Amino acid sequence: MNGVKREHSGWLMDVYLHPDGRLVAWLLDDKGQNHLLAWDFPLTFYLEGPSAYLRQVWRTLTDKTITKTRTTRPDVYGHPHNLLAITALSPGRAQALYRRLSLTFPHLAAFDADLPLGVQVMARAGLPLLGRCHFYSDGERLLNIESQSSPWDLEPPLPALRILRLYPDRDPTLEPPHILHLEYATYHYCLPLQPLRPFLINLQAIWQRCDADVILSDYGDTWFFPFLQHVAPALKLNRDPTLRVQFRRERSFYAYGQVLYRAQQAHLCGRWHIDRHNAVLFNEIGLEGVLELARVTGLGVQDAARKSPGAGITALQMQTALREGILIPVAKGRAETPRTLSHLIARDRGGLIYRPLIGVHTRVAEIDFTSMYPAIMVNANLSPETLGCPDAPPGLIPRTLQPLLQKRLTLKRWLQSLHPLDSRAPVLRARQTALKWLLVVCFGYLGYKNARFGQVELHELVTARSRELLLQAKTLAEELGFTVLHLYVDSLFVHHPALSTSEEITPLLEIIERETGIPVTLEGIYRWIVFPPARQHPRRPVSNRYFGVFTDGRIKARGIVLRHHSTPPLVARLQNELLQLLAQGEHPSLQLSAAWELVAQQMKRLQRRAVDVADLRVAVKLRQLPTDYLRPGPAAQAAWQLQARGTSPRPGMRLHFWFTRQGIRVTPPAADEIDYARYAWLVRRAAAELLDPLTSLPPDPQLRLPMLTRGSSTIKVSA
Amino acid sequence: MGRTVPTITQTLNDIEAQLRRFRHTLRRSDQRLLDDLLASAHRHIAAIAETQALLPFEGALLAILLEQARTIAQLEQRLIDLEQVWQSHERRET
Repeated sequence: MNGVKREHSGWLMDVYLHPDGRLVAWLLDDKGQNHLLAWDFPLTFYLEGPSAYLRQVWRTLTDKTITKTRTTRPDVYGHPHNLLAITALSPGRAQALYRRLSLTFPHLAAFDADLPLGVQVMARAGLPLLGRCHFYSDGERLLNIESQSSPWDLEPPLPALRILRLYPDRDPTLEPPHILHLEYATYHYCLPLQPLRPFLINLQAIWQRCDADVILSDYGDTWFFPFLQHVAPALKLNRDPTLRVQFRRERSFYAYGQVLYRAQQAHLCGRWHIDRHNAVLFNEIGLEGVLELARVTGLGVQDAARKSPGAGITALQMQTALREGILIPVAKGRAETPRTLSHLIARDRGGLIYRPLIGVHTRVAEIDFTSMYPAIMVNANLSPETLGCPDAPPGLIPRTLQPLLQKRLTLKRWLQSLHPLDSRAPVLRARQTALKWLLVVCFGYLGYKNARFGQVELHELVTARSRELLLQAKTLAEELGFTVLHLYVDSLFVHHPALSTSEEITPLLEIIERETGIPVTLEGIYRWIVFPPARQHPRRPVSNRYFGVFTDGRIKARGIVLRHHSTPPLVARLQNELLQLLAQGEHPSLQLSAAWELVAQQMKRLQRRAVDVADLRVAVKLRQLPTDYLRPGPAAQAAWQLQARGTSPRPGMRLHFWFTRQGIRVTPPAADEIDYARYAWLVRRAAAELLDPLTSLPPDPQLRLPMLTRGSSTIKVSA
Repeated sequence: MGRTVPTITQTLNDIEAQLRRFRHTLRRSDQRLLDDLLASAHRHIAAIAETQALLPFEGALLAILLEQARTIAQLEQRLIDLEQVWQSHERRET
């Protein structure tokens, strides 16, 4: 069949590099047939520097397949650069060439040299990953391909994916698993790992029979694929039989004010592998969200699942730059401009955060600005090249964000128009949440020191504008007779004695949207909401801790023990049950005695030791290397114990342990070893966090001010 | 945010730490009053930040005064309410 030109319609699923440097496209046609086709994809990168160096580079490159030309291209600021353009016949050759030249000529600046493959394909060939396409092949090579879709399509068609789920019978970080579970369609296989030979034979048989497109695993990155690599390195797990599983190293890094850990990664070629324990947002956005991220950003599905949304927004900016012929530097070249202390005090600040009025409040509406920061960036045309030029045409960053913002807003409005039980709602929610995360980080990336198109002054301008807008919204709400209970970056909590339905808040939403130019949505009307005081002082408010129930029965809680990653499941479940109970009443204090009864029952269960050991597991994040800990806190003790068991905990890892009477333990203890008094204290503290404010809180003095209580009994409809 | 200069919350916490010896020297009853005053400054932390002052303690003192003024206003209102109740009670008796 090879050599015959054939025509297909289908989807461009992924692209990857063959070890010989060729680009390979994984395409899936409408008949469900997979094609792994070599793609002639020449790639160009640019070098800039003193002419003498560039002449040396020119002489060094003697390979006739490499094209060298002198050219001039602009950077993001529009400044022309005199460059040496180097074009290799395949992306792998270009990458190897760039690596060699950057070592030999470290003083030369490089552009367009380290871009993700999917981004290059999307920008240079106009083909979105996971997009519909029409292609011709001779069975081995991709001869021609045309795109039939856009990443901004609202309802992109997707092929039926064959999904294989696999997971071990226990956490491999604690003890070696005995059984591997595999689930495909309606089949469920349990394969004992020993003896090894029958396990491998059965695994290969199931693997070939399923021929899955997606492997969804638990501990696939850290246990399953490394284990197979060790015991059966010749096992064919890729669709491309010439390739082995590609591993990427683990790493710890500092971002968003915390130490993060990414375990080693196992990537497949011709199918996708996603380890749910090593995928950043997978629990929140699921496979649908990951596919949306890959479709929009051009990062492959396996990368989109594991990388932070920041990598996604960078990929989007790169696409815009590549399409428009703007140079993308390998390293950011522009340093921050020096500023005075008073300038920094005035500007180096975050969003506006009030301290709420402590107490139990009824008839409260929560109003959110939709994607406030990206909307500010688009509306105010905030981009490195437009800084200080008020009349400049839209800059690179607003041009990148505009379609993303529009798509998310449309998906969100579509979702709001659907019935909650509509079968399309979960998929739409996952997709719009994935886009939300891209938009959330796009602001932070303006101030990130290594962002290629970032500039910290823009970051500060965005926060300054957001503070102004929120204060404007506050003033508008007060003019309409509302009391502002709380302001939090992009949301307002307002109270009015006559507020009961969402229609009554509509005039306020309309006027805020009209005056600020940013879309606002009503998160909901709270039947009641509690802003508890700080633990240190009963009159000291806390900005990020509250819980309440909306009039439609939804519960919202922030900052309480339930939301902490460290909380044992038993304690989190109790708080959840307490919230459900309190939500039944028009006022939370109506259910107070029943709530305390629930707490007493839980305490009795603890006294009787009638609890599951797994429910008592506590989590802690390792902030540094185990050897760097000076004091034996829980994290240090857990890390030291794991080290003694032969594993090497890395900074950013989340460790689990139990409180026992002998101290903490990283393996599940026997029932009589557990420190029940410690867990009883945690239960009491979690209960008190919810229930104490309902009994001990005096009414907030600000709400009793004469000028506030003297307000009208109905809501004014105009300012 | 907090990249080159401390946030307003950090600054207020530092001021409280500096006042620790001052607080320690006060009588127990006065310590509670001081804690109340400092807590009331925290209620207006956003407004203190907006002053953009090099020394934000002035803003914190203004916030404390504001809370004192509110307490006085509430007490005055309660006094007026009580006087009205008392006058109506007197009128009924006469």
